Amino acid sequence: MESTLKTQPNRLRLDANKSAVERDLSRLVLTLVELLRQLVERQSLRRMEQGELSDEQIETLGLTLMRLDEAMKDLCERFELSPSDLNIDLGPLGPLLPRDR
Amino acid sequence: MASEAGTYLYAVATDLDKPAPTDLTGVSGGAVRVISHSGLVAYVSTVSLDEFGEEPLRTSMEDLDWLSRTARTHHQVVETVAVSAPTAPVRLITVYSGDEQVEDLLRRRREDFSEVLARIAGRWEWGVKVYAEAVGPPSSPETAPGGGEETNPGTAYLKRRQASLRDREKDRRHAVAAADEIHETLSAYAVAARRHRTQDPQLSGRQEWMVLNGAYLIDGDNGEEFTRILDGLRKPGIQAELTGPWVPYSFTVTADAAGGPDGSG
Repeated sequence: MESTLKTQPNRLRLDANKSAVERDLSRLVLTLVELLRQLVERQSLRRMEQGELSDEQIETLGLTLMRLDEAMKDLCERFELSPSDLNIDLGPLGPLLPRDR
Repeated sequence: MASEAGTYLYAVATDLDKPAPTDLTGVSGGAVRVISHSGLVAYVSTVSLDEFGEEPLRTSMEDLDWLSRTARTHHQVVETVAVSAPTAPVRLITVYSGDEQVEDLLRRRREDFSEVLARIAGRWEWGVKVYAEAVGPPSSPETAPGGGEETNPGTAYLKRRQASLRDREKDRRHAVAAADEIHETLSAYAVAARRHRTQDPQLSGRQEWMVLNGAYLIDGDNGEEFTRILDGLRKPGIQAELTGPWVPYSFTVTADAAGGPDGSG
């Protein structure tokens, strides 16, 4: 039954249709931005936990990340994408982003 | 080199000298035939290489309708023949260039097949999928603790994310530990056990995160007991889903490895 696994539709395939290409490209770009945002967020949390950041730095980072998060939500809405669309299955490596952020 | 027709192999079974089921229809409408050799029977049907050759397969494998149709037929044939004799299903879409090749396979791999068939005789596969129950939504922005929200919204945001990630991590560890425990207990009872890669929510069709995708080879009479053991392992926070009994797809690896389309392209 493994064959069905391998043949699930490739979720990031580019369609030759123009509007579909636009949508898929926006999705790819948003996926990468979201990946970076989450990486920075986790890094910030780690540094905060280790006491490496001043209160002021924490506040600035938090605000920036919060606004980015809001901006991401707006963009996803505009392109009619759900959070689960912003993910790539890397096969044996699992998904690019945690599934339940 | 391959001609127009190929031989599609469904399963290899122990030859019990019983009349083979004659009314089975295989993939793309061909009648299912039997090839007997060395105490084994292979269930096959003739397929056109226009549809099952290497090149056309590359495109059809992406066609989910075609694939599910083929998988259903394949599975139906396997299920039917498995009722009467120990049966080792062969991987979906295994095509040989002709009957002689299948005969040759039975001859060459006779010992492997017999070993596998002896192991699964009178036994069935049960599947257990365990899901971590969906945790509540990440702590909502409205319920910021401490009231520091207005003065330090950024800090409050990070704190909330921190708490939410920690909760998730805790739930995850809890679910993984529960899955390990279930797998261990079930494996101890089963004749054989395998842990498959967990499925993506898209494939499983469920929101919850899958933490165990196990297959267990169980003696024919022990299905009920197995179900009872699993029920005893259920606990809050996880959902365990039991399926079966199935033809032991997961425990016929040797037969599986013998498959693989060769000579057809």
